[in-house]
Amino acid sequence: MKISKLPYLFFLLILLIFFYLLIIERNPSKIPSALLNKSVPLFETESLIKNEKFISSEIFDNQTIIVNFFATWCKPCRDEHDYIKRFANEKNLKVVGINYKDKPELAIEWLNNLGNPYSNIGLDKNGKIAINWGVYGIPETFLVNSKGVIKYRHVGQITKKVYKEINLIIAAGINDE
Amino acid sequence: MNKKLIIVAAFLLFQFSFSSCNAVEPDEILNNTQQENRARDISKNIRCMVCQNQSIDDSSAPLAKDLRVLIRSKIKKGDKDEDIYKFLSDRYGDFILLKPPLKLGTVFLWFSPAILFLIGIFVIIKHNNKAKVD
Repeated sequence: MKISKLPYLFFLLILLIFFYLLIIERNPSKIPSALLNKSVPLFETESLIKNEKFISSEIFDNQTIIVNFFATWCKPCRDEHDYIKRFANEKNLKVVGINYKDKPELAIEWLNNLGNPYSNIGLDKNGKIAINWGVYGIPETFLVNSKGVIKYRHVGQITKKVYKEINLIIAAGINDE
Repeated sequence: MNKKLIIVAAFLLFQFSFSSCNAVEPDEILNNTQQENRARDISKNIRCMVCQNQSIDDSSAPLAKDLRVLIRSKIKKGDKDEDIYKFLSDRYGDFILLKPPLKLGTVFLWFSPAILFLIGIFVIIKHNNKAKVD
């Protein structure tokens, strides 16, 4: 190969790399959770719907659980609520809610209007629980296996595509190990 | 000429008025100046996860404020800087650190500029030698 062709080939290579990055589906602002494959953070707080303390070690028992951070002021939370309900009603999964920086009375009204899929709801009035979970933009949804280990995290609204993805992950099994 | 000068002056003023502002609110500031300076230094190295291209020291996002308050409460409790960085990166990953740590996975990131620089020098020398021969 003549040396003079080298710059052109190099240029072509760079073009191909850029083109590849352009066509693959990728979102650089999406950040993988640092908590994946780690145990759920322990915390205690008040419960929105029960007259007792919300103690995480009692909530995360021997079953697959969906944890959903939500608030009434968050529009995507309202939009994804149907899918959260389907997890509870159609898939018979235990869904735990964390009500993020919200007014309890508004949250109760919101759930009365839209339906309550949550088996229990912890109040995160000042956002400290969310920080312990590495949450940076609600809604966020976590999948916790029967051993209390976080296996999946989704930032943002649960769409039809994400709903299917989560169901596939659960069907594939997250409890072995 | 004068008009141009005024425009340039206005532009510079505009620039500086922005560069000197920060998001730290008065109620967050600690009484102990030494502790407050430590908090500011840490905050400047922590990425705002909401805006992603700003430090939490610059950002007025609610999460950035929460993290600034958290850092200050940890400093008051007597935590070391390393403990605070570890607390945050354990929860949000290394991405929250504006300066990526030197690890096996980031070796290329840290040393590629030097390697590319050396390759460049090599190419220039080679090219010069060739030019001399020609």
